[in-house]
Amino acid sequence: MHTSPRPADPTAVDAAAPASRARALTKVYGTGAAAVRALDAVDVDFASGAFTAIMGPSGSGKSTLMHLLAGLDDATSGTVHLGTTEITSLGDDALTRLRRDRIGFVFQSFNLLPMLTAEQNVLLPLDLAGRAPDRAWLDTLVATLGLQARMTHRPSELSGGQQQRVAIARALIAQPEVVFADEPTGNLDSRSGAEVLSFLRRSVRELGRTVIMVTHDPTAAAYADRVLLLADGRIAGDIADPSPESVLAGLEGLRVLEAPAGTPTGATPVVDVTAGGRR
Amino acid sequence: MLRLTLAQMRRSLGRLVAAGIAILLGSAFVTATLTAGDVITRGGYDAMTAAYGTADLIVPPADAPVSEVLATARAVPGVTAADPLLMGWGTFESGRRAVNETLVSAPSTPSLGSLEVVEGRVPTSATEVALPPASAERLGVGVGDTLQARWYVWPEEPVEQATAEAADEDAEAGDAAPADDDVQELTGDVVLVGLVEDPNNAWSRYGGAGLATVEAITLWSGATDPDDFGSSNVLVEVDGDVETVRAALTQELAGADVLTRDEAAARAVEQWGGGNVIVMVVLGFAAVAMLVAALVIANTFQVIVAQRTRMLALLRCVGARRGQLRTAVLLEAGILGVVSGVAGVVTGLALAQGALSVLSRTQDGVPLPTTVTPTFGNVLVPVLVAVLVTVGAALVPARAATRVSPVAALRPADAPSVRARPGRVRLVLSLLLTVGGFVALAGGVALARAGIAVDAMLPLAIGVLGGGTSFVGLLVGSPLWVPKVVSALGRPVAALSTSARLAAANTLRNPRRTSATSTALVIGVTLVVMMSTGAVSAQQSLATEFDERGPVDLLVLGTPGEALDAAGRDGVATLDGVETVAVSSVADVETADGRATEVLVLDAADAGVLRDDTAAEALADGRSVVPRWWSGDVVRMELQAADTAVLDVLARGGDRALLTPQAAQSLGIDEAPSALLVRLTPGADARTVLGDVRDVVGDDSVRVESAAAERQSDEQIIDVVLAIVIGLLGVAVMIALIGVANTLSLSVIERRRESATLRAVGLSRRGLRWMLATEGMLIAGVGALIGAVLGLVYGWAGAATVFGPVSEVRLSVPWVQLGGVLLVALVAGFVASVLPARAAARTPPVAALGVD
Repeated sequence: MHTSPRPADPTAVDAAAPASRARALTKVYGTGAAAVRALDAVDVDFASGAFTAIMGPSGSGKSTLMHLLAGLDDATSGTVHLGTTEITSLGDDALTRLRRDRIGFVFQSFNLLPMLTAEQNVLLPLDLAGRAPDRAWLDTLVATLGLQARMTHRPSELSGGQQQRVAIARALIAQPEVVFADEPTGNLDSRSGAEVLSFLRRSVRELGRTVIMVTHDPTAAAYADRVLLLADGRIAGDIADPSPESVLAGLEGLRVLEAPAGTPTGATPVVDVTAGGRR
Repeated sequence: MLRLTLAQMRRSLGRLVAAGIAILLGSAFVTATLTAGDVITRGGYDAMTAAYGTADLIVPPADAPVSEVLATARAVPGVTAADPLLMGWGTFESGRRAVNETLVSAPSTPSLGSLEVVEGRVPTSATEVALPPASAERLGVGVGDTLQARWYVWPEEPVEQATAEAADEDAEAGDAAPADDDVQELTGDVVLVGLVEDPNNAWSRYGGAGLATVEAITLWSGATDPDDFGSSNVLVEVDGDVETVRAALTQELAGADVLTRDEAAARAVEQWGGGNVIVMVVLGFAAVAMLVAALVIANTFQVIVAQRTRMLALLRCVGARRGQLRTAVLLEAGILGVVSGVAGVVTGLALAQGALSVLSRTQDGVPLPTTVTPTFGNVLVPVLVAVLVTVGAALVPARAATRVSPVAALRPADAPSVRARPGRVRLVLSLLLTVGGFVALAGGVALARAGIAVDAMLPLAIGVLGGGTSFVGLLVGSPLWVPKVVSALGRPVAALSTSARLAAANTLRNPRRTSATSTALVIGVTLVVMMSTGAVSAQQSLATEFDERGPVDLLVLGTPGEALDAAGRDGVATLDGVETVAVSSVADVETADGRATEVLVLDAADAGVLRDDTAAEALADGRSVVPRWWSGDVVRMELQAADTAVLDVLARGGDRALLTPQAAQSLGIDEAPSALLVRLTPGADARTVLGDVRDVVGDDSVRVESAAAERQSDEQIIDVVLAIVIGLLGVAVMIALIGVANTLSLSVIERRRESATLRAVGLSRRGLRWMLATEGMLIAGVGALIGAVLGLVYGWAGAATVFGPVSEVRLSVPWVQLGGVLLVALVAGFVASVLPARAAARTPPVAALGVD
């Protein structure tokens, strides 16, 4: 059943087609005077086999960007591609199939189904697709995430960190092209958060997945290969190989940008920023 | 607190509306029942009033004999006329046709009469009668024609005197028929002197009435003197001031009651009370509906409280006392109860009005008011009941509200749930009631089977008590065992698909709510299935009885010794619905001590025509079958016809003897083909066949009887009663199904994030809808299945208790009703899921990301 498009081989990270791509992506909430431009003509590419963090202050549009990239919400204008598929024009059924087969999600509040065991939760996307689980891949995931002893437990019997690891396994089980993580450490203590983040990084480095994570925590963002900064619905910065310090500095820069002093937008980035994500 | 309650109610409007509909249905049911009771009572009142004509005063039956009261009354100044109001029955024959007619004493003055003479005149002698036009038409007679009156005199009465008295007044009367010890049958000629109509429907509940003189009614009722006839009102017409005459009359009659027409009618209705019994029974069904509604309400409020946990905690944080929270919940229930109760009353009145409008248009001659008149009580009672039920059902959830600790406001709100583990008290109570009840039920059945009870009603009383107790026990314990049934049934369902697996798992998440929802359905379904099982078992059990009593479906009986017309014989055989025809002979036979009966001669080869297998076997063994009432339980008896012979016999429950050809020969019975024994094809309409046979035979000297037709009408009565009962219980089932929809929509609201997650990880909208549909069907199906099983057990127990002493009990499964109930439950479970599922499918996957 492995007929759906697979992500490029990890060694082919530099291949031409990015895992996810947005062009002139715009999202407007409300109409007339109450209209809010959550995303303003954003152009961005996410490389395959990379771990990207999207950061920005509240209301910067980072969550909206992720929803649109994942096909969870409709764009006002612009296009989103997942691999070579343009998803902005897809209907609900096609989007559902796309999410099921080609996208994985990790949520802030884990969102495991309480009535299913950990294993059943992990296998849910395959069950929904009517696909037989790839046992070897399941074992790999379970071993990597350290869940061997927990697979028969229900979510209520698991700690927050364990629940989130189960959620990561669920996101990866169908070998999706992209995993979207929405504040995956938001509900976790720092130790569990660190664990979860290293698992996400390992899934990129060792398992060749593509992960796009939204977070407001610079320490979390520092686990990524690249940090994308958003402000006012636009790309405001792009940090490669970030460290907590460089991320913090980038955020400081945004605060400067936001300052009412009338500083020309994007004119004096504190860190090396490639505006618009173009390389 | 009121403002807060109202604000909260607005937020939970959708949930409350669903619960409100359950209460609305219940109170509409109560209102419609009470209103119908009123209509029945008022109809009775109007009929009573009409029966008194325009009499000014009425003297109800008193200690003094009627003749004395009459004499006294007539002597009082101001009284212009006084008549007894006698009611009796008469049988009149003309040729082969006969009618039974209710007879009312002819008034001495038109103002005291309730019937209107449309042709001819009022009867004035004991040999005259006036009948309704319909009866006259049935008899094929007109005014001036002579009829035969037939009546019976019981030996306790001085028979000779009665005949003599009749002979005094009626030269032609007193043609005494040959009598046995019991009853003397008398006939006499009467002249139809008038046709009467009943313009005010005074007697329509008796199917109309005719007029006869007091003497005639007394005579035909087997009495000798109007004073012996029993209680009778005396109607009085007054000239002048009614009150003065009333006072004088009261005095003259030594303090007896003297009533006005309205007072008398009111009193009669009170004593009569026939409508009230029906109303009480129907109110019983309404109570079941209310009970189910209470379960739905309790469920709803539990969820509402659970969902408001945070808000309640917040209120506690800012200083609300426990009592205030409880009050708020109860206040909310009270408001819901009042609003739905009032809406229910309006609905109920509208239903009653609609039914009245339809009935008054289709039913001529039934006295019905054209509009319902809501009385204070009929409006107030349903609303009160609605409020009580709603508030009562909310008591437990209200207690749960007070248990919310202020700290809960500070915790992150996770999926709220009412965590109330079924307690040990519940387990013990449930076990006691269930086991005790079933033991009593079994005891009742055993008593009935053994037939050793002192009183025939005792086993039934024990059985009903035991059945009721065990059912209550099962309901009390339902949170303990229903989830297990759901889980067991969910397992095979889960294997169907992922949606089904999720649905099965979902039903187990809140076992208490699932079981409460199923239980609401269990109540109605149990009762429906119980009634159906009882009815089918009754039909089956009575079938054996019927087979023995009337072993031949249809009989054509000619004159003994004379062959039936051959054309008619062949004609019967070719009719639709006739399976086999056996040619037989009919004859009269006596026992040695002079008891007579009619016998049929039947060759064992033709015994297949009999319904009664035991009788057929006896004939094949060369024994004749004779009625038990005639022979006792002997195996050999001496019989006389043309000759005398001693026969081997089998005593059975039928009315006629069946003789073997050998026995018939030894008795010297003429073997001319004077009778036909007919077996009908299964499913043939016995009454139609009976009519057809009559047409084919078409001879006045030939009698056609059909045991099958009698049996059919008995069975139809059972069917009709069953249909009515199921219809009444249907309301309870409907309320329970609203409960299913309610539970599902609550689940949908609670699981918003979960639905979104499922959508995000790839469950299609259709898959989500199917998940909820499966959940709905599973909950409803479990309820229906449990109800079906319980209903079967109770129905069987009931049939065994009621019919145990009468006949062999056949436990039957009402497959049609069972299948129907299960199908309705599944379809309804599906339908109940449609709206909640639409709401769930509309949940955008983005909602999974939100922190609510």
